[in-house]
Amino acid sequence: MTGFIILATFVGIIVVAFASVVQKRLADSVVFLMGVGLGSVVLFFLFKAPDVALTEAVIGAGVGTFIFLIALKHLGEQA
Amino acid sequence: MFEFLNQPEVIKTIVTLGAMLLFFVGLFGLLTRKHIVKVFISIAIMESAIFLLFIGLSFNREKVAPIIDATQTQVATMNDPIPQAMILTAIVIGMAVLALGVSFAIEYYKLTGKTEIDTMNEMRF
Amino acid sequence: MNIKRDIPTATLSGFALSAVLVLTLITILLQYLPLSQQRVGDALLALNEKEGVANVVTTVVVYFRGFDTLGEIAVLFIASLGVGVMLQPNTECRLKAESNFMLQTASTLLFPLIILFGIYVMVYGHLSPGGGFQGGVIIASGVLLLLISHKNFEVPHTVIVAFETFAGVSYVLIGLMGLLLLDTFLGNFIPHDIANMGMLLSGGVIPLIYIIVGIKVGSEMSGIVQNLMQRSDDV
Repeated sequence: MTGFIILATFVGIIVVAFASVVQKRLADSVVFLMGVGLGSVVLFFLFKAPDVALTEAVIGAGVGTFIFLIALKHLGEQA
Repeated sequence: MFEFLNQPEVIKTIVTLGAMLLFFVGLFGLLTRKHIVKVFISIAIMESAIFLLFIGLSFNREKVAPIIDATQTQVATMNDPIPQAMILTAIVIGMAVLALGVSFAIEYYKLTGKTEIDTMNEMRF
Repeated sequence: MNIKRDIPTATLSGFALSAVLVLTLITILLQYLPLSQQRVGDALLALNEKEGVANVVTTVVVYFRGFDTLGEIAVLFIASLGVGVMLQPNTECRLKAESNFMLQTASTLLFPLIILFGIYVMVYGHLSPGGGFQGGVIIASGVLLLLISHKNFEVPHTVIVAFETFAGVSYVLIGLMGLLLLDTFLGNFIPHDIANMGMLLSGGVIPLIYIIVGIKVGSEMSGIVQNLMQRSDDV
C-alpha cells in the first residue's frame, strides 16, 4: 500500500510543478509552488522522517510563500 | 499489484525517476522563462526535488522513525538519522538565500524598472 | 506558448539530450544498488545511548554535528544582514494593509496561541519531532500575521538586535565552556543521567543549545519579514 501512495503523490507533484512553470499569471505560480510543498510534506511523512516534514510544512507553506507574494506586490504585478 | 509496488527495488526506482523528473521540470523553467521571479520559483522546485531524492534513497520500509520512546527502544530498527539532519539545515538555508535574491530583484526594479532577464544588459560590453 | 518561436532550438535540444543521458545513467546505476547497505548512521545510533536523548535527529544536529549548525546560523545571519542593507526600511512608508474588523480581532486572539505553540515546539525538541528551527519559524509566522492585519504594529529594532546578539554570543560561549571543561568544542559538560531519557530535564546541554538556536532563527526571520514589508517607496 505504501508504494502505491508514493507513486500517486509523485505523479501529483510533477503535474502541479509543470503547471507552476507554464502559467502566465505569477500569483498562480506561487500558489502551485505551495502545492509542491504540500506534496513534499506528505512524501516526507511516508518516508518516516517527521522532523523534516515539520520543517518543510512551516517553511514551504508559511514564510516562503509570503516572501514571493510580497516580492510580486513590490514589483507591481497584478495579484 | 500492491505487493509488487511494495518491494524495495521498485520503491527506489519510483523515487529516483520521480525526483529526477521533478528536477528536469524545474530546469526547463529555469532555462526558458523570462521573468525573474519565475526563475526563482524554478530554483525552489529544483531544490525540493533534491531533498526528496536524498531522503527517499535511504528509506527502508520495515524500519521506524528515529525517535526513542516507551515502545521503540531498539536502535537497530530505526531509519538513518544523518540524511534527515542534513536536509533540515539545507531547507532553512535554501529559503534564506531565496529571500536575499528576491530583495535584489526588488531593488533592481526600483532602480531601473525592468523585470525581464533579456533586457538586463548593463554589464554587457 | 509557441514552441518554435519562444524557445530557441539550441536550448531545447541540449535539454532533451541531457535528460536522456541522465535518465540512462540512473537506470544503469540502479542495477548495482546494494539493498542491505552499510549505513553511516548505525555507529551514531549506538553512540546515542551515552547522551540519553529521545530524539536521535536532535542529537545528530546539535551534538555530533554541532559545528555545522554554527555555520548554518552564520549563513542565516549573513542573509538577514543582506536583506536589511539592500532594502533600507523606513517606518513611515509600508505596504498599506486594509483589513477589516474581523481580521483584526481574530489575529489578536490567535497571536498568543501561536507564540505558545512555537515555544512548546522549541522546548520539547529533544523528546518529540520539532526543535529550534521549526519553533523559531512558527514564532516568525505569528509576528507576520500581526504585521499584515494591524496598521501600526512593528517590532522595535532594538528588541530584534538584542535577541539576536544574545543568542549568537551565548552559543559560542557554551562551545568555549565545553572546550574549557571537557577539551572538546561544544562538549556536553552538564552532568546528565541516562535513566532520565524521556523527561524534560535530560540530555545535558543539548536542549539548551536548541533553545538558543530557536531564539536566533525566530528573531532573524522576523527581521527579514519586517524589512520586506517596510521598504520605502522613494529611492
